[in-house]
Amino acid sequence: MTGAVPLQQGMLPDTIANLLGLNAYGVAGEIVAALLGAFLIANFLLINTAFAGPWAKRKITAAFTDRIAVNRIGPFGLFVIVADAVRLLSKELIVPDGADRPAWDLGPLLIPFSALLGFAVIPMGSGLQLADPETGLAFAFAASSIASLGLIMMGYASNNKYSLLGGLRAVASNIAYEIPLIVTGVSVVLFTGTLQMSAIVEAQQAAFISVAGVTIPQWFAFVNPFAFVLFVVANVAEVGRNPFDIPEAPTEIVAGYQTEYSSVYFVLIYLGEFIHIFLGGAIAATLFLGGPAGPGPAALGIVWFTAKIWAFFLFTQWLRSAVPRLRVDQFIEIGWKGMLVLAFANLVLTAVIVGVLA
Amino acid sequence: MSLEEPEPDAPAPVEEQSPDELAELLGDQVIGREEHLNAPGYVIRPDAVQDVLSTLKNEAGYDHLSCVTAQEYEDRYESIYHLKKFDDPTQEVSVVVPADRENPVSESAEPVFRTADWHEREAYDLVGIDYDDHPDLRRILLPESWQGHPLAKDYDQDRPQVVPLRENANPLQEDHRGEDDTDTMFLNIGPHHPATHGVLHLKTTLDGEQVADVESDIGYLHRCEEQICQNGTYRHQIMPYPDRWDYISAGLLNEWAYARAAEDMADIEVPEYAQVIRTMGAELCRIAAHMLAVGTFALDVYGDFTAIFMYAIRDREKVQNILEDLTGQRLMFNYFRLGGVVWDLPEPREEFFEKTRDFLEDLPEALEEYHDLISGNEILQMRTIDTGVLPPEVAKSYGATGPVARGSGIDYDLRRDDPYGYYDELDWDVVTEDGCDNYSRLLVRLREVEESAKIIEQCIDLLEDWPEEDRTIQANVPRTLKPDDDTEIYRAVEGAKGELGIYMRSDGTDKPARFKIRSPCFSNLQTLPEMAEGEYVPDLVAALGSLDIVLGEVDR
Repeated sequence: MTGAVPLQQGMLPDTIANLLGLNAYGVAGEIVAALLGAFLIANFLLINTAFAGPWAKRKITAAFTDRIAVNRIGPFGLFVIVADAVRLLSKELIVPDGADRPAWDLGPLLIPFSALLGFAVIPMGSGLQLADPETGLAFAFAASSIASLGLIMMGYASNNKYSLLGGLRAVASNIAYEIPLIVTGVSVVLFTGTLQMSAIVEAQQAAFISVAGVTIPQWFAFVNPFAFVLFVVANVAEVGRNPFDIPEAPTEIVAGYQTEYSSVYFVLIYLGEFIHIFLGGAIAATLFLGGPAGPGPAALGIVWFTAKIWAFFLFTQWLRSAVPRLRVDQFIEIGWKGMLVLAFANLVLTAVIVGVLA
Repeated sequence: MSLEEPEPDAPAPVEEQSPDELAELLGDQVIGREEHLNAPGYVIRPDAVQDVLSTLKNEAGYDHLSCVTAQEYEDRYESIYHLKKFDDPTQEVSVVVPADRENPVSESAEPVFRTADWHEREAYDLVGIDYDDHPDLRRILLPESWQGHPLAKDYDQDRPQVVPLRENANPLQEDHRGEDDTDTMFLNIGPHHPATHGVLHLKTTLDGEQVADVESDIGYLHRCEEQICQNGTYRHQIMPYPDRWDYISAGLLNEWAYARAAEDMADIEVPEYAQVIRTMGAELCRIAAHMLAVGTFALDVYGDFTAIFMYAIRDREKVQNILEDLTGQRLMFNYFRLGGVVWDLPEPREEFFEKTRDFLEDLPEALEEYHDLISGNEILQMRTIDTGVLPPEVAKSYGATGPVARGSGIDYDLRRDDPYGYYDELDWDVVTEDGCDNYSRLLVRLREVEESAKIIEQCIDLLEDWPEEDRTIQANVPRTLKPDDDTEIYRAVEGAKGELGIYMRSDGTDKPARFKIRSPCFSNLQTLPEMAEGEYVPDLVAALGSLDIVLGEVDR
């Protein structure tokens, strides 16, 4: 192919290319611009994760359980993030006997990778979006599902029975809950008629109802709250948080697929899990909460978006502190017999409503 | 295991029979009579154990094999089966089975009482008696490759025991158990596992995620407590050790077990004032122990350090502070003395009473919160109701006591049925639940906390009004206690986990010749396979949590 395919207008790489004058360098310039954009987005997420993992999670759980948590290093204990990073990275990486090497090493890489990949198509507001393909939603779901592959690789390659059980549980739960998740997502697509993320956000801008001067936007969470609840539940299961943290289940199978991982790999797995929670929140926000929409100028989009994904994170931590874990058979049963049926009922209902209204 | 099968009707309680009537019932199987301080003893032939025990169980109503004590004399080995009735534990009988010095073989009681399985294995392990007809006579506390029997007379303590792990077992070796064509997986749960509550090793065979077979491997925390006590003097040197059996706050309850046995043996009368303090302290310990049990059970089911665990620890902390004020210690109280307690309530007394009353006042609200968070939670109910089922007859056969038995509807509590201390003067109820499942055992513990609070409140009232000149905390006890030669006694109290019994035999010196601990956790843990087999791994973990075992007490 000769000549560059023009960068999508309004996307982050395009903005960067314009700012830095990279357009003059053709394809090479586009690649550099795209990489710079990806670098920015990934770092934004990693910073969020750094706050979420070693600091916010402790603070939030402590608040739920009558404790104080980190408060010694730095203001509000914030420097514990640095201390923890140094501590975790300087630990010995223990490789179990008989680990299936390439798979054992690749697993922990796949998890953060798949979650970060999903963010490529998420409109984060303030012009922060890497790409906006027409199949955006499908891409986001597909990318986040790659994590299952990593989980089963880790479970199988660790040469540990607890890991194996955890890996199998992870796959079983992902299959059981991914279908309701996607089917519920599709019910939104029925409204918008497109999988393109920016168009889905666009469709939620219109006013839904106006009460006493307060305009409620047409967020799909308000239009179809039933679908929203279903989606959030399936999402919690998809990211493996309580009460659906079956794959890890510390009191039953020690730590599931991550039993044998230490040091850098341990950090990678946790990094991946937190980004995964944020990705779950991001998809939910995009589909149901108007993406980066919120009061104030459009430039504030990224602030609202961040608030929304953190709200989802907070929700998972709340569940963690308050809700018991289901047993594995009950969990699978709820997935296949409850969620799936409800998801399809919701889809049919939405189709009827859309058909009648349109 | 299901509750739908009609349970065999419990035999009607049999009237108490006099020792002579019992001797007549047993006929010529009795070859001699002994008199233990707690019960008549019948010496029987070593090959008639099953006959005698089943006669006593079926025809005389002695349905509770509380403990099996084994010991070695100069001329013989001896196993003592301490029998009781669940309906009335004051009716006791000791069945004494002598075995030959050179070839100690004795018939096993396992076919009559399931609980004899582990008790006899322990007797074999530590003393060296062979039990004929025992289904699985292996060592239980010590590793299989151990040389000698530590409580036997000819045991050489100085001989080094070099026991490499490979001589015992290779935990990685076998992946499959059972027939070749079955598709099962062998899994070691523990000794280092988040849910085993200490160093318990469960050898589990899984069929998919379901438990096909589970076997407990105990003894990792065996500290020779019985032998340590045999080397201590009655008066002072034994009392610190009971704190170390069930070490999660049940210290005073354990101390009471020794105090009761030793006081009955030496005929010491404890002043009433000290009894009230003991009762109050013991119930504070029970609350602390049950709080931890509820918290860790929630941890096992919830799966993370959730609000419930921290709330339970928070409330337990208040009890610990009160106990610290009372005894000066937080964990190893060493507060009881033979004939009383070591010191009076802390001065100023009003402050102590106020602090305790504050705690009791806040308790109902805290319990309400627990019920909201735990017992009222639908997911927890889904997880715990009808899982880990332990039918009452099975529980009795295994000698299960305490909240485990009461969760199976067995109305058995030594505080009421075999009263000691000040319990029979106070107004409180024994809590039972009929569900027989994990949920019932949880509810029993939560409700027992309320009952304990009632007892403490009444004790506080009594202590507040106690006239200053009558505050005797200690009876007059000789500096050195030397009970008469060959006095034997078995006494039990209601510990936090169940019936905690002590058997002691004196030999005329100031140290016991045999000191045997009947640990409630030891018997309760035996029921685990009954509860867990056929269930999922999470339910195995929940059942184990609902048993509330402390490995310090299981292994001693």
